[in-house]
Amino acid sequence: MDLLASWLGNVPDFAVPYALAALGLILTERAGVLSLGAEGLLLAGALASIGTQLAFGVAGLSLLAGMAAAALVSILFAVMVIVLRVNQVIAGLTLVFFCQGLTSLLGTLLEWTNQPIRGLPALALWPLSELPLVGKLFHQNLMVYLTVPIFLGVVWYLNRSTSGLRLRAVGENPQAADAAGIPVLAYRFAAVMAGSALVGLAGAYIAVLSTKMWIADMSGGRGWIAVALVIFARWSPWKALAGAVLFGCIEALIPQLAAAGVRLPQYFVLMTPYAVTLGVMIWVALGGRQNNAQPGALGEPYVREERR
Amino acid sequence: MHTTFTPGDDAMHKWIQRSLYSAVLVSVAGVAMADDGFTLEGPPKIAMIYFDAKNDGGWTQAFDEARVKIEKELGQKIQFVEKVPESASAIKPAAERFISRGANIVIGTAFGYSDTFKELAEKYPRVAFLNGSGTTNGHNLESFYGRTYETHYLCGMAAGAASKTGKLGFVAANPFGVVNWTVNAYEMGAKQMNPNATTTVIYTGAWNDPVKERAAAMALIDQGADVIGQHVDTPTPQIVAQERGVYGTGHHRDLSQFAPDATICSAIWTWDKFLVPELKKIAAGNWKPAPYGAFMTIPEGGGDIAFGKVGLSEEAKAKIMAERQAIIDGKHIYAGPLVDREGKERVPAGSTLSDADLWKMDWYVPGVITQK
Repeated sequence: MDLLASWLGNVPDFAVPYALAALGLILTERAGVLSLGAEGLLLAGALASIGTQLAFGVAGLSLLAGMAAAALVSILFAVMVIVLRVNQVIAGLTLVFFCQGLTSLLGTLLEWTNQPIRGLPALALWPLSELPLVGKLFHQNLMVYLTVPIFLGVVWYLNRSTSGLRLRAVGENPQAADAAGIPVLAYRFAAVMAGSALVGLAGAYIAVLSTKMWIADMSGGRGWIAVALVIFARWSPWKALAGAVLFGCIEALIPQLAAAGVRLPQYFVLMTPYAVTLGVMIWVALGGRQNNAQPGALGEPYVREERR
Repeated sequence: MHTTFTPGDDAMHKWIQRSLYSAVLVSVAGVAMADDGFTLEGPPKIAMIYFDAKNDGGWTQAFDEARVKIEKELGQKIQFVEKVPESASAIKPAAERFISRGANIVIGTAFGYSDTFKELAEKYPRVAFLNGSGTTNGHNLESFYGRTYETHYLCGMAAGAASKTGKLGFVAANPFGVVNWTVNAYEMGAKQMNPNATTTVIYTGAWNDPVKERAAAMALIDQGADVIGQHVDTPTPQIVAQERGVYGTGHHRDLSQFAPDATICSAIWTWDKFLVPELKKIAAGNWKPAPYGAFMTIPEGGGDIAFGKVGLSEEAKAKIMAERQAIIDGKHIYAGPLVDREGKERVPAGSTLSDADLWKMDWYVPGVITQK
């Protein structure tokens, strides 16, 4: 029972970064821009937030700095794919390598590596925090609770607001959107920056609230898992949240089992998150209900004069 | 000898000069010299290739701290390059640039440099190569590593003394021989202080993933561990121990720097203690690398321990220092009789575990709890 309680208590630290990063990617990709740069944006957010935390010690400010840094870096990506119409796959991969190099260089030069910081204290959501077994799930930092309103906000924006409708139109059929008077390029630019800010927030979460320090390449491939989560969730925020929680549960369970002395083959256990991804993707594909989920113009640059 | 030349390179001329020079030397010295040790042609000029940033807080920083001491000791500057990943396409240009600038001793710092260093050593027979944690050796190439089971045995003693529950946690990277021998030694050391001590190990599968290391340390503490040992590259497990109010033991460097209230003892590197005499031997000429690499004990520069400021009584420290002295005087940690946790005899009474068996250690002593 102890195992269950401490397992659930550790799930959010894994799940929240996946959820926020996947949400950011969905926002960007719903506007028709394929974003593979999440791994790099996580690092940009993580480094900027740690630097801000070391300088000012205010976690809220650090998280905002992480968002701002990722949005700033994403301008480079946006200019490449929206203005210059560079291949979005290549530009996304380039962004990852660029951020990996830049953040590890800056982290070293500024001597931010391995400097432990104070994160945010855990807030108990009384009376839920007093529940048996699941109590620890309501003993988290503020950002974990804020993730829910952030999701609600983005879902409301995408599905209920006029601006969100336009953004989706740009991602589905930019020609029609353009004919209707929607500024396609401006929407895409804004979607890239806003989505990247959310990925940056995920990076800041990893650095400031989870590990509480900076180490080069600390995102450890989590950006790629977020990219997979988006496909797995068929561009639906709630499904992405469910996927993130599923991944968080698995990843948090691995050390718990080991600590409890359960003898399982360790490489098999470390493989399980990826095996589950594969399994769910196959299951979704066999379900056959996903055909219309992908934004129609995903990955295609928009050129007004071009006939299709 | 196989050497490649690019047009317009003056290496060709140098090579011809050197070949003539060595031909003259050989004919003067006679055939007796031919099968002898390695001798530099000029004064030593040393270069180091770092696997990570020089201020990484762990592995590479330990090498950089050694570099400063070696510079002082040998009275010369050592060039270095940081963050050279473990791939031939990155290592070769770095090493060759140093060599073209006149370096004749190149020191690498990673397991993954092994094959490339072997290649380079064959391509540049007039340059001496050393490689920390490497596996390849040759006429002008020597890999070196410390017998870290000695220092982790002493850290395990500290952990056993500081633990109230007798449950020790250990965050490790991968179940290789080099990691398993520290895990086993840790448990054996802990048993010296508390015969009922157990060590629960979590392998994260990565050397540098603070997210996984944090989750592992948290899980161990949740399950009742009150001292957290580690064999991973970041100080995360120590920082978690400090946050949760338990103790820990560090690896690579004195990690009380990061967690002063938690880290009671650290297994540290003392590379300068090995490299200074080894570099002097190379400079003196007729250097003969150890055929299977240098595998150092504590007095040879294979590491040492550093106590933190908390957690240990003077009595415990005295006991640990007495064992340290015994190791310096020749005590082998893996001396028989030793059985593994399945009850199989691994080292018979009266003998010690061979180096070959150490490197391929895939068994655990009783009291170690791991995944399969």
